[in-house]
Amino acid sequence: MFYRDKLSFEDEEFKLKVGFLHFSSCSGCQVAFFDMFEEAVEILDTVELVYSNMLTKRRDLPRMDVAFVEGALCIEDPHHLHLVKELQKKAKLIVAVGGCASFGGVRRLSCGNQLPQPQHQSFVPITEVDLVKPKVKYAIPGCPPNPSLLYSFLLALLEINEDFLLPFELMTFSTRASGMDIFVEVVNKGFCVGCGTCSTACPTRAITYNYECSRPAFNPGLCVYCGSCLAACPQSFKPYPQPTYT
Amino acid sequence: MVALNSRFLLGKYREAFVVDGKGENPIKAIFTLMLKFGLIDGLLTVSKDGNSPRLIFKAEDVEIPVRNSCFGVNALLKKAVQKYRLSRLAVFGPACTFDGLNKTQYFGIGCNWTKTAVALKISFLCPGVLTDTAFLSEVVDITGKRAGVSRFYFQKGKLHYQLKTGEEITVPPSFHHRYVNSACRYCLNLSGKGTDLTAVYLKERDKVLLIVRSERGLSTLAQVQRSSPSTLYFRKADRKEVESLISFLKEKVILNITDIIERVELGFPVPKWNDNKLRKFYRLWNSIDVNSEEEVF
Repeated sequence: MFYRDKLSFEDEEFKLKVGFLHFSSCSGCQVAFFDMFEEAVEILDTVELVYSNMLTKRRDLPRMDVAFVEGALCIEDPHHLHLVKELQKKAKLIVAVGGCASFGGVRRLSCGNQLPQPQHQSFVPITEVDLVKPKVKYAIPGCPPNPSLLYSFLLALLEINEDFLLPFELMTFSTRASGMDIFVEVVNKGFCVGCGTCSTACPTRAITYNYECSRPAFNPGLCVYCGSCLAACPQSFKPYPQPTYT
Repeated sequence: MVALNSRFLLGKYREAFVVDGKGENPIKAIFTLMLKFGLIDGLLTVSKDGNSPRLIFKAEDVEIPVRNSCFGVNALLKKAVQKYRLSRLAVFGPACTFDGLNKTQYFGIGCNWTKTAVALKISFLCPGVLTDTAFLSEVVDITGKRAGVSRFYFQKGKLHYQLKTGEEITVPPSFHHRYVNSACRYCLNLSGKGTDLTAVYLKERDKVLLIVRSERGLSTLAQVQRSSPSTLYFRKADRKEVESLISFLKEKVILNITDIIERVELGFPVPKWNDNKLRKFYRLWNSIDVNSEEEVF
């Protein structure tokens, strides 16, 4: 069921109930969300923040229309297991925010058995968990995603702008993303124009620009598996304002 | 069916002018004046040889590419917007630069708040980009001699190179098509649709054909003209001049469409998260219903 199925669009009382859930991550995605500053004012009358581990005092998870989830799920953490079960019951729609929740992110490099919590050893992105997979409708790449992206995404969600949301829907089917994708998906397939957008999107400088051959250069040691590079690439999904063919 | 008409090849535009810079490249003059009078606070472009991107802050440092070499302009976008906090940035490059930039502006991926940071987008008519070595091979293929390329321009619907030896050669699109970057062989936006202005380099170094696409482009030119009336001379382009350009684009785009059709028929893979625009185009190519739209942010 889509979050607006039973609500009238003319209903002035309508407020989209959103929550922000935190699994194993640095909380950077949530901070980026709150970094929208004055732009957030425009949407405050249509959105109600019902749960956030940073901004609300609630302990129990209330029912919500959209749950924004950051971080990867730790298999050994009972709190995470409880939270994911609650999420399945209470959220109508789930949005995986950031690299960790969408594609594993920097958690892909975790080997576990380390202090202060040696029992925390294995991490999976929310997009890989079958229990909530049917409800995970969108995945937002980035480490963290830009506030401007999150703002545009929230606006598109309120307006049900499918044109904008479609790429993020496609990303939920991809449980792995890294800088290597730029080579495998774009350069190797003959689509790289050498514009440099991937290198500007990379938060860790794992992708730089090789001026000699006019192609990106990838350093796997620096990659945090956030998927920003492929998402930003004009050849990955519809770049605006290319003419659209329908 | 798609018609290879002006709308498809050149895109929507308001006016086309031939701009005379009186001894100076008009695009360089426009950027110099804009920086001088504070209309922009930075220029993101590439070096003269087109090999490395440049972020320019001072009017006296302005340089623009005169070769259709490889670019990577967007590699400096984050530096310009987030590090130097430029809020009235001008960008000059080939159309593919603006595909990346417009996508960043629309979705917000990659560089934060780019939507409000760019004041002007000027592309140049790009016949497909080449690396230094590809230029050398192409010139050897055409002339049989080894020489570097110093600039490219269009004359009477033909692509020309001026070599470093001073010689000028005509480049047949079929030869050129073999040496360009492989992604340029699937490009259908050679004229920079989705920008404010498109510059077409002409034989005379101090003249360009300027295609004005947006209100912002037109008002920027008016402001530049008002700030320094004697620097640039504008003349409305003749129909013939625009038509010769369209004839070149038609010749090149037909080669690109042939490659797209071949690629789709062979079933070559496309990137994941791609809405498969090549296959969409393939379907459109034989369809009678066309709905195309453009937008400038």
